[in-house]
Amino acid sequence: MRAPAEGVLRGIATFLATFGIGIATYIAIADSGGGSPVCIAGGHGCQTVAESSYSHLAGVNIAVFGIAGYVVLLVCALLRGDAFRMTAFVVSLIGFGYSLYLTYLELCTIDAICQWCVASAVVMTLLFVTNAVRMVAYVGTEL
Amino acid sequence: MSGRRDREARREERLLQERQAGAGERRQRMVKLASAGVFLALVVIGVLVVVSSGNSSGGDSDNIVEAKEVDKLLAGIPQKGMVLGTAGAKVAVLEFGDLQCPVCKGYSEEVLPQVIEDRVRSGAATLDFRNFTIIGPQSKPAGAAAIAAGEQGRGWNFVELFYRNQGTEDSGYADDEFLTAIATAAGVPDLARWNRERRSQAVIGRVEATSAEAEDLGFTGTPSFAVEGLGTGGVEPIGTPESVGALESAIEDAGK
Repeated sequence: MRAPAEGVLRGIATFLATFGIGIATYIAIADSGGGSPVCIAGGHGCQTVAESSYSHLAGVNIAVFGIAGYVVLLVCALLRGDAFRMTAFVVSLIGFGYSLYLTYLELCTIDAICQWCVASAVVMTLLFVTNAVRMVAYVGTEL
Repeated sequence: MSGRRDREARREERLLQERQAGAGERRQRMVKLASAGVFLALVVIGVLVVVSSGNSSGGDSDNIVEAKEVDKLLAGIPQKGMVLGTAGAKVAVLEFGDLQCPVCKGYSEEVLPQVIEDRVRSGAATLDFRNFTIIGPQSKPAGAAAIAAGEQGRGWNFVELFYRNQGTEDSGYADDEFLTAIATAAGVPDLARWNRERRSQAVIGRVEATSAEAEDLGFTGTPSFAVEGLGTGGVEPIGTPESVGALESAIEDAGK
């Protein structure tokens, strides 16, 4: 099967990374105000997850790391070349793997689902797929 | 003419082969780099998972920490039952909390120490811990254990020490072994009596009664506070003051 044109993949990655920045920023702002994200579909899942010990890493809200990751992915999507193809792949793989772990924690340890966290996990998964296709199809080719 | 054309065709073919060989080498190099990238990513994910798991530290009955800090915080302040402070203080602050609640832990560590120092030690207010068990099945026995410790004058040591050693929310850590370790570190003098009392219907009934009281006051989460003093018409719910200043201000208003 022929991969989509790299420009299309970069466009998709740009959109997804921007969307991810929005989600992570909302979670981080809600946390910095001493509160928690509001679950749009109702329920207390977002509050429970935000208040759990897993919502912070070394004292920093995980969403802040998410923003940093999405920004790197956005830059990589906007720029051409193998270095950016590779970086996007590695960063999105880290994001994807860690998102899987966090989703596992929500389901099996915290016993609550935060819709914003799930949305971010879905975005990161799509970014991983997009960047993996970009890397496999275009690394080593001309710009 | 034909010889020249042949030479040019051979040259084009050679250049094409060189380009293809160059691209192939480059691609191979990038595949190696990608493999290294995958390895790096897996290492980073592993580190993140280990650090995250470390967040869940606490709830370890073999490693009760900060007993000295709690002793220091409460030293010299009278305790009767679950009430901390001098009897007859102008204002009573009622804290409705769940020992398994991580927000209560944060509040206990970040807000209450200053309030205890400023208002309770001086005799201006008392702090009354009341169970509002909403987190999980172990919240009620944990709350009963705190009340039983309070019967021996160590209720606030138990509560503060529990919070400082709190495990992952409702993960099953607050079992008998953990409660006993907290009671021991909190300095409960008669553990046999504590064990009897924490299981008694009277003590468990008190946990249920204060949880019902919290609901009657309109509280839905923990920690929630209420104040009672000259300036209030009975018990006045104040929700969860966001800071030391906000709680102290509520105490001042209640005392006027």
